[in-house]
Amino acid sequence: MLRPRRTSLFLDLVLLAFLACLAGFITYRVTVHLDYTWHWGEIPQYILRHDRQDGRWLPNYLLLGLFTTLRLSVWGGLLALAIGLAMALARTGRSLYRQLIARTYVQLLRNLPPLVIIFLFYFFLADQVIPHLELDVRARQAGPAVRSLLSLLLAEPGSISAFLSAVCTLALFEGAYITEILRAGIESVDRGQWEAARALGLRRGQMLRHVILPQAVRRVLPALAGQFISLVKDSSIVSVISIQELTYQGSQLMASTYLTIEVWVTVALMYMLLTYPCSLLVSGLERRLARRT
Amino acid sequence: MSGEGQGDIIIARGLNKSFPGPVQALADFSVTVRRGEVLVIVGPSGSGKSTFLRCLNGLEEVDSGTIVVDGIPLDENERHRLEIRREVGMVFQSFNLFPHLSVLENISLAQRLVRGKSRARAREFSMELLARVGLRDKAGSYPAELSGGQQQRVAIARALAMMPRVMLFDEATSALDPEMIGEVLDVMRQLADDGMTMVVVTHEMGFAREVSDRILFMEQGRVIEEGTPEQFFNSPVRERTRAFLRQIL
Repeated sequence: MLRPRRTSLFLDLVLLAFLACLAGFITYRVTVHLDYTWHWGEIPQYILRHDRQDGRWLPNYLLLGLFTTLRLSVWGGLLALAIGLAMALARTGRSLYRQLIARTYVQLLRNLPPLVIIFLFYFFLADQVIPHLELDVRARQAGPAVRSLLSLLLAEPGSISAFLSAVCTLALFEGAYITEILRAGIESVDRGQWEAARALGLRRGQMLRHVILPQAVRRVLPALAGQFISLVKDSSIVSVISIQELTYQGSQLMASTYLTIEVWVTVALMYMLLTYPCSLLVSGLERRLARRT
Repeated sequence: MSGEGQGDIIIARGLNKSFPGPVQALADFSVTVRRGEVLVIVGPSGSGKSTFLRCLNGLEEVDSGTIVVDGIPLDENERHRLEIRREVGMVFQSFNLFPHLSVLENISLAQRLVRGKSRARAREFSMELLARVGLRDKAGSYPAELSGGQQQRVAIARALAMMPRVMLFDEATSALDPEMIGEVLDVMRQLADDGMTMVVVTHEMGFAREVSDRILFMEQGRVIEEGTPEQFFNSPVRERTRAFLRQIL
């Protein structure tokens, strides 16, 4: 490891002082010239509220939004990984038919703005496909234990359809990028690895699972993690289809309280709370894996 | 056809193979290998030696011709292909060990996946093979921690783990530093002494002279000369062979 150089300490301090001044100036402008009165004291109650009847603390709009964002990201991420893996295997496989399907999928999804995809898929999936499954009805008819499990893992019984549409849309969209990342990983594995595995008599599935994918995934792990962090952030666009995730809750709250800056700063911090630990986790994982190869 | 007895384990007839480019890799190439025989193939680079080895276990497709290994025809049937690969071990110039697996796992993987052995039994046999190549103490190491010679010995153990009937060596010592060539050749020599059928593509003329039963000189995808080591080195018939030997000896 290289030791960090200390020579530019003075310049660093100047830079820090400059940034502090800038922050102070902006706060001053907002307070004095925008005539903005800060009400930071109002914010906590929108995160946690005290229920008078129960005498308990319950999550309020912002925290509920954070939970929904988390659920969207986890399910969307898992589904996107599954789609991405299937498509990457199709793209690197021998069947021309599957290659073309995968290529079409990637080109289509990568060359459209996410917002347009969201609207397209939402109105198709949500209107045409998912209601026919009558998930909302089934969820409402389920026992209380199942219902509370569903609301913990997915969404309230009444909004499961909308939630699933949002998850599918996000997963389809992010899956295209994951396809390309995994494809690059698979193609970066030396041809000799395939040959050695083939010469030992392994079948294609066995080669992929035991020889190629472990190496490929290891190499693209940083990119995959970056894509997952993107997914967490991109999940904010489903607010346009009224999924009550963090951004949606933020805009609702802003409309009703006019605490514009406080609300959005809080929302930003809450997103950081989700994404920053992901970044840390990945750099830790990378260091552990780097020791082997 | 005449001269094909029960003792023939590899029968290749009329192989043709061309890659984009002027030279044909294999041109009406035929060869038979007897059980227990050590066949060394020599020739200038680009003469089709490696292509022949790679065709033998289906890593490369021939354009025309037939290959039969231990009675199994190498054809479009994927089952035959897998069966042949199970019977034929291959050692590559660039080792091609699996870098994400330990030495022990490298050797055990195919035993478990292809031969269906339990983890414990695969491990037991792997340790036996590691002892044979003199690397028992490296079972837990990863390929990147080994020298080239050690990696190639592990690669040989990995191929032997399938209990193959034939071993193919594709310039197994060409990527090694000179001081490591000996340790790999020793393992190969020991294997030959144990009666393994081997087809060896190599530039090591010392090894060819001492260990082989038959030497085949190839150029432009054809057999130029074929004979016992004594014939080949002491009284080559063809002028091209003599020129080749003058260059390398």
